[in-house]
Amino acid sequence: MSTPSSDVDGNADAVVDRPTPASNSFVGDVWVNFERWSCKAIQTPATLVLEVALAVFSLLMFTAVFGDLGELALERSGFAGVGYVTFILPAALVQVAGSAAIGSGIGLIGDLQSGMFEKTLVSPMHPAAVFLGKAASELLRVVCYVGLLLGLGTLLGATVETGVAGVVGIVLVCLLFSLWYMSISTIVALASRDEGTLDAAANLLLFPLLFFSSAFLPLSALPRTVQDFATFNPVTYGADGVRALVLGRDVLTVFQFDQFGGVLDTLVPAVTVLVALDLLFGGVAVWLLAHTSRSVVG
Amino acid sequence: MTDDTAPDPAGDEPAHTDTPSAVVAQDLTFAYPDGTRAVDGLSLSIPRGECFGFLGPNGAGKTTTIKLLATLLSPTDGTVRVNGYDATSRRDAIRGTIGYMAQSVSVDRDLTARDNLAFACKAYGVPRDRRRERIDELLDLVDLADVADTPAGQFSGGMQKRLDAATALVHDPPLVFLDEPTTGLDPKARSRLWEYFERINERGTTVFLTTQYLAEADALCDRLALLRDGSLVESGTPESLKRRVGGAVLAVEIDGGTDTASAATTVARERVLLDPEATVETDEGMLRVTTERARQLGPDLLVALRDAGFDVTGFDIAEPTLDDVFFALADESTDDLDATGDHADAAQSTGEGR
Repeated sequence: MSTPSSDVDGNADAVVDRPTPASNSFVGDVWVNFERWSCKAIQTPATLVLEVALAVFSLLMFTAVFGDLGELALERSGFAGVGYVTFILPAALVQVAGSAAIGSGIGLIGDLQSGMFEKTLVSPMHPAAVFLGKAASELLRVVCYVGLLLGLGTLLGATVETGVAGVVGIVLVCLLFSLWYMSISTIVALASRDEGTLDAAANLLLFPLLFFSSAFLPLSALPRTVQDFATFNPVTYGADGVRALVLGRDVLTVFQFDQFGGVLDTLVPAVTVLVALDLLFGGVAVWLLAHTSRSVVG
Repeated sequence: MTDDTAPDPAGDEPAHTDTPSAVVAQDLTFAYPDGTRAVDGLSLSIPRGECFGFLGPNGAGKTTTIKLLATLLSPTDGTVRVNGYDATSRRDAIRGTIGYMAQSVSVDRDLTARDNLAFACKAYGVPRDRRRERIDELLDLVDLADVADTPAGQFSGGMQKRLDAATALVHDPPLVFLDEPTTGLDPKARSRLWEYFERINERGTTVFLTTQYLAEADALCDRLALLRDGSLVESGTPESLKRRVGGAVLAVEIDGGTDTASAATTVARERVLLDPEATVETDEGMLRVTTERARQLGPDLLVALRDAGFDVTGFDIAEPTLDDVFFALADESTDDLDATGDHADAAQSTGEGR
């Protein structure tokens, strides 16, 4: 046996010396990936349209089907004078934020299957910047959906009592909500590496959670078991956080929190729960991403 | 092994353009958690500007080796320097100076060819003012200029491969790793990519490729290494490897297909006075005897086969090709090789029909 030796005639003298291209900064790498995923979203408009259509359809459908019954339930549950479309708007916003977040895992599976995951890893880009750029693009999509839906809700007669500051708050709560869902989506994507499994798992998780929460009706109008479940349901905190900003008052009923008064008595616990979920599931997702990045054997 | 480019123990990090070797690996080992060694004590040194080929059957460790060199995997043991940088401590530096084309096509199917290249340019930090020119140049080079604004998902496999190759070269890297770059392509697309790789190699780019296509290795590579079970079995220039096989190849076509040809090997071994070094193999219904005395033994073999009742339908005597080298040196692993496709392609591409 012999091994290749370095004294084989090579044409090293003919080598063209070339400068190493300047590498990007971390922020530059984030931007490059943000651009890529945004460009992909624009080039596949069907996904965008379907995701918005689903949320719009939900808003219209629930308003049309449950409008009268809903307003009756609202009146009996301390929400007298609140239009059902105003009440249900947070549910639609939380739904669209969750649905959009599913796309995160689907995109990741696409990259794993197409080899782009490995391709970006072997580039000089910082791996964290690669995933941050992707997440930033997905969060922008959530912002766009929330804006669209807020506009539609307003056209249908919903009002945001807290004004422009409230709208900004609504967007932020929706982003916090989508982040933990995005993390779940990433975790399932890395575990299953199958788009069908992810889609089924994500929808199985989102829709029951929406119905077993305060999203569509006040909890006092729902059975006791649902009320108990809703206490541990993240959707309750997302929907109530947004609803507090829409109605301009404390709406949290799963437990009593009377530290600040008004909107903050809902917003502070809701945001705390969502941030905790983001950190928990986000941490697991980042760990899995790092593990996958280290073990790309193909 | 002669190696005058061993890693600098002092840890100095030469610029990638200053080091004489593009790749230096010493005792490179990669073991899976279950203890299986995909790469086992591999040592090699590749001068800059060389086109180096890694040959081996499936599971030989080619892809694992290329991923170790491209910093996608960390070695269990041993050292690697790529473009002068240590592969463990200076991964980022290496990644900026290499191009990598994976075995399977790696393009973003949602993006157009131009957008794929633009993303690669940005990822590798190609200056903004050079990007457009570089993208146009690469699109022309891989013959995709006419479909530059078509999503890659609408491309054929060959077009996607060409786009993939182009994205690995946006930053004009001094070293490219190509993992079975033409697997699955039709002969025309394969030939086109070969021309492309030859061109970048002529421009001074070091090319490290793995392949199962022996004709590809013969056509492109300055030097080859045969890998089996994670270890180097043999290496050298294509010509020197062919010489090591020794003699010529006597190929006899026998009516009756593979089974009949297999039976004929017994006749060849028992009734013809072969040299101890001679090898007898069957391939697609052909009996192939490699020996220094192929021309002298030809008539004896034909007579012996006829007397044993075999119907010889044709024969040829040819100089050895890399196929013969491969089969002679990697005989234990030949079952894994897609012999049908590879041989047909090899014979066709090299024009060495037998």
